[in-house]
Amino acid sequence: MKGEDLIERVLREGERRADEVEVFYARGESVSTEIKKGIIGTAEESEAWSMAVRTVKDGRIGFSSTGDPDRWKECLDAAFASGGLATSQQWGGFPRPANLTSTASSSDGDLIVAVEDTAGMVADLLSGAAEHPVEVVGGGANLARSYLMVANTSGVLYGMDRTVAAVSLEAIREQSTGYEFDASPFRADIDARSVGEQAASLAARSLSGRDIKTGRYDVVLSPVAAASILGHVLLPALSGRNVKAGRSFLADKIGEQVFDESLSVYDDPFAPGLGSTTWDAEGVPTRRLVFVEQGVLGRFAYDLKTGYRYGEGSTGSAVRSGGEPPGIGMHNLFVDGPRMKEPGDERAVWIHDVVGAHTANPFSGDFSVEISNPFWMEGGDLVEPIRSAMFSGNVFEMLAGIGGLGKDTRRVGRLTIPSIRLNNQQIIGK
Amino acid sequence: MAEVRYYDIRCVRGEVTLVDIDNGVVESAGTSFFDKAVIRVLGSQGWGILTRDHVDIDSKRELNALVEAAARLAAVTQDRLDLADAPRGVLPVPPLGEDPRDIDLEEKTRLLAGIEGAARVPGVGNTRARYTEGIDSVRFLDSSGNEYSYEAVRSGFSVLAIASRNGVMQMGSERDHITTGFNLRGKQDLGRKAGEVAVSLLDAKLPKGGTKRAVLDPELAGVFTHEAVGHASEGDLVREGASVLGGRIGERIGCEGLVIVDDPSLHEFGFMPVDAEGVAVQRTEIIRDGILASYLHNRETLAAVGNGIAGHARSEHGAPPIVRMSNTFIENGDAAYDEILAECRDGILLIGSRGGQVDPGRGVFQFNAEYGYLVEGGETTDMVRDVSLSGEILSTLHNIALVGNDRKMSPGYCGKGGQSVPVSDGAPHLLLENATIGGRGG
Repeated sequence: MKGEDLIERVLREGERRADEVEVFYARGESVSTEIKKGIIGTAEESEAWSMAVRTVKDGRIGFSSTGDPDRWKECLDAAFASGGLATSQQWGGFPRPANLTSTASSSDGDLIVAVEDTAGMVADLLSGAAEHPVEVVGGGANLARSYLMVANTSGVLYGMDRTVAAVSLEAIREQSTGYEFDASPFRADIDARSVGEQAASLAARSLSGRDIKTGRYDVVLSPVAAASILGHVLLPALSGRNVKAGRSFLADKIGEQVFDESLSVYDDPFAPGLGSTTWDAEGVPTRRLVFVEQGVLGRFAYDLKTGYRYGEGSTGSAVRSGGEPPGIGMHNLFVDGPRMKEPGDERAVWIHDVVGAHTANPFSGDFSVEISNPFWMEGGDLVEPIRSAMFSGNVFEMLAGIGGLGKDTRRVGRLTIPSIRLNNQQIIGK
Repeated sequence: MAEVRYYDIRCVRGEVTLVDIDNGVVESAGTSFFDKAVIRVLGSQGWGILTRDHVDIDSKRELNALVEAAARLAAVTQDRLDLADAPRGVLPVPPLGEDPRDIDLEEKTRLLAGIEGAARVPGVGNTRARYTEGIDSVRFLDSSGNEYSYEAVRSGFSVLAIASRNGVMQMGSERDHITTGFNLRGKQDLGRKAGEVAVSLLDAKLPKGGTKRAVLDPELAGVFTHEAVGHASEGDLVREGASVLGGRIGERIGCEGLVIVDDPSLHEFGFMPVDAEGVAVQRTEIIRDGILASYLHNRETLAAVGNGIAGHARSEHGAPPIVRMSNTFIENGDAAYDEILAECRDGILLIGSRGGQVDPGRGVFQFNAEYGYLVEGGETTDMVRDVSLSGEILSTLHNIALVGNDRKMSPGYCGKGGQSVPVSDGAPHLLLENATIGGRGG
């Protein structure tokens, strides 16, 4: 008993002791090959199974999860024990079945989870990297398929397929490194050869960078650098839980012009992407959510628990990771706005990536990070590598007045984002 | 059947208990269960690796089928690996002062609430605390006839306080994790400290970035050790050519007297009784008297690279073992803290850690302090916030001017290759010359 029969059993058994029960079930398979010494070093295959249970009684929410189907009773008992300790809160029930009319494409019917296919992707990565005089020191390819299901005692029973194809490559030339990656639900989106070529090009071109003096410069953040910095600061600030707890810089600013008027930020769960879905991790129908439109803050994201507690209602923004209870997150977040012809003709410091984005202060937005693969950019071209430097700033101030958005929109995890030009930023040379 | 030179299987079955209290509200408190197995087969070239939930390690038939499947995977690999011989043995697990399993969830929740409540000092608007307890039952066996099992118990918490005033928001956070028992009693002081730091940071200045002398406190100096030296000494990165420390054994890379160690046998948060490949664990001196002496290895990187010992393989449950740090530290020197501050004269004192990251191939690292103080004329003056430090692995250790005599270890988690494992880092107070300080003050 591992599938729908077990879900049904847990719901019926749980119902006898609680007002409501919810089961979230996931199973998946994944294969990957990893590059060692410029050839395939390891091949890995994994199968995973997990079940998470939530019980609600008198507004007290209990939770437990298990990776072992034989322990489902223990898991249910643990959920009840957990609910006994949780603080009671306003609760309006798990969602009822909805007529889901939208479609979201998160699965590639043609994707086969086969180790031979990942080996082929690795060969493409390596042939791309071979275009430049570098050593390949890491990377690999991954193909995965999973099936997710949410069911509750109000009658919801939704299931969906997810697929992922991903590649990455790490190259080095002397002490100059380059890393590139891509991931998509669709195998055909992944151009492994180009990813390998880009990583190798970064390593080769960043060699012998010149020092830069401490001072204020115009900066262009590549989509990767922008996603990295924004991901650690902007995303948590849009979570309704952080807003209500007084942990968001954006709290109390609804209706205000918080960012540059050329910036919009929205979650589109129906766009193709790694997080595409028509129902969220609690079975609530998803919708397109515009958080910031032309710089004006419109709304925050909520799950059921935070929504009920503060009378806001869920926005279909629940996500899950690992064996943890659901929390508030984004499905496919877009940072968007009118694009410039180029990321700006004026000379600027172009930054491919940053080291240490997770050390940013998520509440104040202040950060100071080491930059990776920086170049002088002129007329939209990378003309000369810069050796090494730090970049310090504040995410919220930065977004309040940007220099413009580039045309190079790219998907970085669950974020889709173009390069961002920022004027007059603090760079610390060495 | 495809060639099998060696196989091993490692099963970790256990429980995770989490309690999350946010502004006095018990958001969740409960236990979850996992049961993961990783089967590795070394074929004619490299590894074929399988990950499964819920494997019966005692079933010969199940094991044979898994080994066969992993061998088929190994057949696609091309990079020939060999395994070095290594000593076997399992250390006793430290006795538990108080077994967290003997304490009910209600008491854990109440104790955590006490710590969270203590953080709510005047001026603090939000507090959050999280208790994490992990019970791992580990079983291992390999094709060479080695077999072991042990149990690891971890218990600890983190507490966060946020103070705000006129739209300015600042945070203070503390954490403490141990492997030697239950760790929630008598810890309200740490909650209070988180609250007080958050409030005092409201008046702290933004430091000016640039090159200056810096004093690192033991916690931050531990993170410095971990990021600046630890990762780059990992044998897998050295083998792949992804570390600037490759080919530099015997070279002076730091000041005289400097000793940097990784020791999984210490009863700190990175303790393990045996490594994830069944190899006995021992202390490794990475740097001895300023000279690069050893890398950290598992069996395959030792065979390929040499210079060091195996016994540094670790894995998160359900993931294959890779070379990792455990308890990493700089040994005590002889400078007293007052002497270090006096010698710094004008610079910056950096305290606590918000984490760090390294690019070992480029040899560049970054880490962030929780807060700091300007040092003027050998005395600490204004408090500063949001300050980070970056440096280059090959030059930075030469810039250690003084090594203190007050080493302290701090627990944390380290991420590599998508796996997170418990570690501890530590050092005495350090004086660094020519430190690159990142800050956005004018």
